[in-house]
Amino acid sequence: MKEYTIAAVVAALLVVLLDGKLGTRVLRQSAFWIFLAVMYAFKLLVNGYLTWRPIVTYNSEFFLGLRLFTIPVEDFVYGFSLIAMSVILWEYLKARKQTGRT
Amino acid sequence: MTVEYALVLFCIIIGPLLLSRDKKLNLYGHSAALAKSIGIVCVTFWVWDVVATARQHWWFNDAYVLGPRLLGMPIEEWLFFVVLSFVSIFTWESTKYFLKRRR
Repeated sequence: MKEYTIAAVVAALLVVLLDGKLGTRVLRQSAFWIFLAVMYAFKLLVNGYLTWRPIVTYNSEFFLGLRLFTIPVEDFVYGFSLIAMSVILWEYLKARKQTGRT
Repeated sequence: MTVEYALVLFCIIIGPLLLSRDKKLNLYGHSAALAKSIGIVCVTFWVWDVVATARQHWWFNDAYVLGPRLLGMPIEEWLFFVVLSFVSIFTWESTKYFLKRRR
């Protein structure tokens, strides 16, 4: 079963829900998508290097097998979750402190 | 070279780390929020990674990691999430700063 594919998609959906639940609305800002494009540009270098070397090898049983250069497409969905979750929590925790709610 | 993965992490974080002290970004004015965000992201992705590594979704090449492992993952892989969540927040604040300045 394509467990990595499923996990990556589920994680991305959960992060979208998190943004709505916390009311941070990060994903609705055009700035976020510009920021994500910048992160992906660096990601191509880093993730590309890690998978080309390879420092990390993926099990073909668990992902679709589609790659951009040497990078499994799932990594871009995974990367979205990691990147978006970081800034959603940051925005939430920063705002919570400023408005004095605990 | 066994330091290779560690070097990759160093290359990712060194720029943001040096520039992060810039007052205009005010990252450390919210150091508790910064630490908490990084902490929550790390724990979440560590759990995923430990399970995925145990199930052999992926594996790490001994030739490029320093050696110490915890729950099957090289020390570099644990640090990866600290580095990436920090760099994400730094780049996010930088992006917002440059977009605001342009207007």
